[in-house]
Amino acid sequence: METEAKLSFLDRFRALRETQFGSFVPVLLALAAIWGYFGLALPLFDLLTGEEETFRAIFLSPRNIYNLFMQSAVIATLAVGITVVLLLGDIDLSAAATAGVCAALLGVLVLAGVPGWTACLIVMALGTFMGVAQGILVSYVGIPSFVVTLAGLLGFQGLMQKILPTGNLNVGNDFVRGFARVLIPDMWGLALGVLVVVAFAVANLRQQAQRGTRGLERDTPFAVWGQVIAFGVMVIAVILILNSYRSLPLLLVLLVGITALLGWITTSTPFGRSLFAVGGNAESARRVGMKVKRIRVAAFGIVGLMAAIGGIFGASRFGSVSYTAFAGGSLLLEAIGAAVIGGTSLFGGRGSVWNAILGALVIGSLGNGLDLTGASAADKLMVSGAILLLAVAIDAVSRADAGSER
Amino acid sequence: MTSNKEMVGQAAPPAHLSVRGIQKRFGGVHALKGVNFEVARGEVMALVGDNGAGKSTLMKVLAGAHIADEGQFYLDDKPVTVASPNDATDLGIQIVYQDLALCQNLDVAANLSLGDEPVKSGWGFLPRLLRPLDILEMEVKARKAIDRLEVRTLQSVRAKVGGLSGGQRQAIAIARAVGAESSVVMLDEPTAALGVAQTRQVLEVVKRLRETNHAVVYISHNMRDIFEVSDRICVLRHGANVTTYKTSETDPDTIVAAMTRGLDNEAKNGN
Ligand SMILES: Nc1ncnc2c1ncn2[C@@H]1O[C@H](COP(=O)(O)OP(=O)(O)OP(=O)(O)O)[C@@H](O)[C@H]1O
Ligand SMILES: [Mg+2]
Repeated sequence: METEAKLSFLDRFRALRETQFGSFVPVLLALAAIWGYFGLALPLFDLLTGEEETFRAIFLSPRNIYNLFMQSAVIATLAVGITVVLLLGDIDLSAAATAGVCAALLGVLVLAGVPGWTACLIVMALGTFMGVAQGILVSYVGIPSFVVTLAGLLGFQGLMQKILPTGNLNVGNDFVRGFARVLIPDMWGLALGVLVVVAFAVANLRQQAQRGTRGLERDTPFAVWGQVIAFGVMVIAVILILNSYRSLPLLLVLLVGITALLGWITTSTPFGRSLFAVGGNAESARRVGMKVKRIRVAAFGIVGLMAAIGGIFGASRFGSVSYTAFAGGSLLLEAIGAAVIGGTSLFGGRGSVWNAILGALVIGSLGNGLDLTGASAADKLMVSGAILLLAVAIDAVSRADAGSER
Repeated sequence: MTSNKEMVGQAAPPAHLSVRGIQKRFGGVHALKGVNFEVARGEVMALVGDNGAGKSTLMKVLAGAHIADEGQFYLDDKPVTVASPNDATDLGIQIVYQDLALCQNLDVAANLSLGDEPVKSGWGFLPRLLRPLDILEMEVKARKAIDRLEVRTLQSVRAKVGGLSGGQRQAIAIARAVGAESSVVMLDEPTAALGVAQTRQVLEVVKRLRETNHAVVYISHNMRDIFEVSDRICVLRHGANVTTYKTSETDPDTIVAAMTRGLDNEAKNGN
């Protein structure tokens, strides 16, 4: 009905965010801005003012980027899980505490001589159980998720302290440490990357061809090839950069693999569709026969599982489990912030797990960059707060139904 | 009142779907007080009543969206239970809700197959909820449903419902109910948001449903539309039956009187 020319900037922005790849644009811009600032603007400024002997130029060095990815990985794991409940319009405040409990138990188990992989499976089961239990309280008892998971946050913080009376435990188990230590040989990593890009391209082109044969509208070649090329460049660039410092760490491969699986489940299965439907209009979902309560429990189970995996990854990366690194620290807010900065709506019904990964990179880059410039903890908190506020503001403004009539 | 009902019932075609003695309470509100209702195949049954008379509640009970506190359901005279939306769908009962029940964050195709998404074959080893969606099949079906309704203004089935006009949304809600495999289609004020031309289209859809031997329930406050499409008119008042008229044997004034004053117009019923 409305002509292209009459679309306001806001309408265009909303329309952009509704498209599959368009939803990545804001978070990619944020990432580019942060990297540009810390990686280019600051070093240039230093150069001009004559302070050449500075640490700042290292932001975009392969070594720092490697660290930055690893730092962001635990945040990203939790953010991916949290995204699933955000899609429903719920929230999970207990994810970091769940991760803490799982990591602490993992440390205790391997110390007691339980094999690493058994311990990992046990804590993954525990995390899922903790999520499911909270999901049941939300669904079947009808307590708002905010309250249930706030109680979970407090309770699990306490539980973690009970498991780790000293607040700290070293994890020396080789299997557990392996996630962060094992590196994929350069050539294998590159081959894997190429394989993924080719698979992505083939899937996309095949789908376009099928659309054609079934008489459905096709995307423009520009959009199709743009997606494939952008995706390919990003994947290969990341792998080359990581290779040029060390290699692709197993942990990142696992994180991307798990995210791909969850991404597929949330966008391409009836279960995923029901997550979006419940987030968009829970009553409609119920009336078309969706089992809203079970869907909610399953979503909380998933976030619990992801929290457990985050706990394992954290223990692996730090080589230790500490109260402040998980339950008692800033991990929770960073993870929720990552999901929201990525572009997942707090109002439910819109978002994606891939955006959570990018959001985690934004948070991770911000922390890393501010650390390098010697900013104080106070500065970091204030900048993070401002960025989060900006992301939520963008979310509120770009909600398609913010103005009900068009 | 009951005898009156029986009389009309005898003259009417055999019921396809009928309910007896439906009771529904919402806390203190007694929304349905033992309502009887029926609809035959190849018939349009209008359901009228003042605001709050219980029309939508009755429809939701029939669609399994509300569970009746008491009452029996019969499909072709066989007792059936409708305890969930899935039960109703399985029995071939489809509904266009007054509030449309669409998900604004999903596109047209997704809304049209909501709750009954097609999945690709060959993934039988996975539980149905985790099999890959057949998105293209979804879009093809949606395209057909939309074309059948002749919603010309709708460009793409990939448009998000949140960005559509009220009339387009209403058309999608109707397409969803009409497109599915069904024997009973219930429409709760389907023309409330529509212009003249689109209202005409909906009335044509209703007539086509009758021709294809569907049992149609049509709720509206518009007497002209009701007298144009319906075969019988069931009047509800304060959550109870007033009576059921044959459309050809009554007139709008009688209906309005029955809706507002109920039993006061007993004398007119004889006509
Ligand atoms: N979910 C609910 N919870 C509580 N009360 C309800 C609910 N749904 C309906 N009611 C009450 O039941 C009564 C009947 O409502 P209903 O929506 O069936 O009326 P209606 O005949 O469809 O009216 P309208 O013409 O305005 O659509 C009203 O008093 C209403 O307030
Ligand atoms: Mg109503």
